[in-house]
Amino acid sequence: METTLSSGTHLTSLSRTTGLAQLRAFGAIIWREYLHFVRYPTWVIAFIIWPILFPATYIFSSFALAGPSGVGVTRFLEVAGTDNFLGYIVVGTSVWMWANTLLWNVGFALRGEQMRGTLESNWMTPTSRFLFLLGSGPVHAVSMLMFFLFTVVEFRIFFHLTFNANLFSLLAVFLAALPALYGLGFTFASLVITAREANAFVFLVRGIVMIFCGITYPLAVMPPWMQAVAEWLPPTLIIRAARLAALNHASLEVIAPDLVRLLAYGAFWLALGYLTFSQIERRARLKGALNQY
Amino acid sequence: MSDYAIEALDLVKKFPRRAPAEQTPAPKNPLARLFHRPPPGEFTAVDHVSFQIHRGEIFGLLGPNGAGKSTTIRMLCTLLEPTSGTARINGYDVVREANRVRQSLGIVLAGERSIYWKLTGRENLEYFAALYHIPPEVARRRIDELLDYMELTSRANELVEKYSTGMRQRIVLSRALLARPPIILLDEPTLGLDPQAARRIREMVLDLKRQGHTILLTTHYMEEADQLSDRIGIIDQGKIIALDTPSALKQRIRQQDVIKMEVAGWKPEMAEAIQSLSGVSQMVSRYLEQDGIWEIHLQTGNSRAILPRLIEHVNTNGTHLVNLNIVVPTLEDVFIHLTGKALRD
Repeated sequence: METTLSSGTHLTSLSRTTGLAQLRAFGAIIWREYLHFVRYPTWVIAFIIWPILFPATYIFSSFALAGPSGVGVTRFLEVAGTDNFLGYIVVGTSVWMWANTLLWNVGFALRGEQMRGTLESNWMTPTSRFLFLLGSGPVHAVSMLMFFLFTVVEFRIFFHLTFNANLFSLLAVFLAALPALYGLGFTFASLVITAREANAFVFLVRGIVMIFCGITYPLAVMPPWMQAVAEWLPPTLIIRAARLAALNHASLEVIAPDLVRLLAYGAFWLALGYLTFSQIERRARLKGALNQY
Repeated sequence: MSDYAIEALDLVKKFPRRAPAEQTPAPKNPLARLFHRPPPGEFTAVDHVSFQIHRGEIFGLLGPNGAGKSTTIRMLCTLLEPTSGTARINGYDVVREANRVRQSLGIVLAGERSIYWKLTGRENLEYFAALYHIPPEVARRRIDELLDYMELTSRANELVEKYSTGMRQRIVLSRALLARPPIILLDEPTLGLDPQAARRIREMVLDLKRQGHTILLTTHYMEEADQLSDRIGIIDQGKIIALDTPSALKQRIRQQDVIKMEVAGWKPEMAEAIQSLSGVSQMVSRYLEQDGIWEIHLQTGNSRAILPRLIEHVNTNGTHLVNLNIVVPTLEDVFIHLTGKALRD
């Protein structure tokens, strides 16, 4: 061996766990997520093609239903409370896409590590294990902001869509939605790591969101019991507040009731996510489920 | 500080496992049969294992696949919680002081997929340095030093997916050494490597010992255990069945002669006839696929006395002896002596 490593007669570890060190580790997890995100070229599809592809199916369906002169859409617009039905659909589908990709990306974050074979090497370090789950969120949140930007630009170019948006209110909706959606994602991630098969869960959750949360139609068209269920689902509140902020230039005061409820849901789902994760982590150590896939 | 770097005391690990379906009669009712699940059972992977490893020692855990080596390592590095028993690393309890244990350990688990292939070698080390809570300035110096030591500096900025298996294993070893941990756990570190890469890793292990690290090594390669270890624990079916220095272990069968034969056309029913020869204490056979012949290991108290009868028995009914040697006992012979089976069965 030509080179040797520096060592003393008495070896002491260089590892120094402090609050700052945990914060640096959290930054490293986000940085690693970012590198993975940009080094898989599928992000081009996520940013450029999906924003227009997914809402377009509903938009063309609505053109067909409205008829040549648009007479069929009158009733819809009355119930929806806006005459911008393109914007109405785009906001709904964008929030659905957000919830959907969140379940795939955050929900599968640990499962992805497990399948890649890197989960154990991460969990053998002194970094808090919950940070690995939290670290998957920021890159996803920023990528969703980019997704929304691409959506606006593309619909402006191809469908001449205009928004009457209050950007401050819209940002507030986005921020208030984060705890609820990510808390849901963390709970989901913990279940996925123990179930090791999550497609059925994903389809169930996104199906529920698609039907109950009014992504392309007003809640008023659903039976009363479905409307009652919808009120308990965070995406319903996100979609409603986002539509008001993006299409009706609603001020913060107008959307405040939905934001407060979103934050309350957020506290609940984050706490549930943390508790579920702690339980699952212990269970995995007892049953040896970490390296199974 | 404890006198021992690693202490395992009466470690037990049981995993839940359902009994095989054939062992539990299915209900007659077709509907009940549809929902029938065998009753839950347990599988003991590690069965009351105890050992102590001195500071600066290389301790080998030798055993066949499924013997309980990796489960033991996983309990020591806090990935698994023992069902019962205790273990201490650098004086810290693996359950109650798990974070202290993680700070004291560098770990290489079997397989090369424990690093990120879409990151460069340097990025991998920077990432894990942050996870190991190494101050940034110290980490930068340490990473340069490790890349130099592993002779990877010129390839450090390439994605790991472009590395050879041996290079990936050196990055994995670098990751284990990042925090300069006093104790290193190596789980099958040369598994799947070509002979040259494996030899290089073995040289590094010896070099790490010279630098003062304590090393626990699991392997099912007896030559590796023999070459590297100061002491060896032989593990089978979750139990440590022998623990001593390699020479002392081999001394146990010094009174025995070990006969190694290569036979063409071997028939399994011949085993019984040979084992019944007076003086044969152990016999295992293994098919060498590459050569299309069988390798037979025999242990006997007096090889000269049984050789004529042995050759006569082998050269019958279309089988014939291709090669025969009386060899110096190896650790594999010790394992055969203790268990009646080969390490790589």
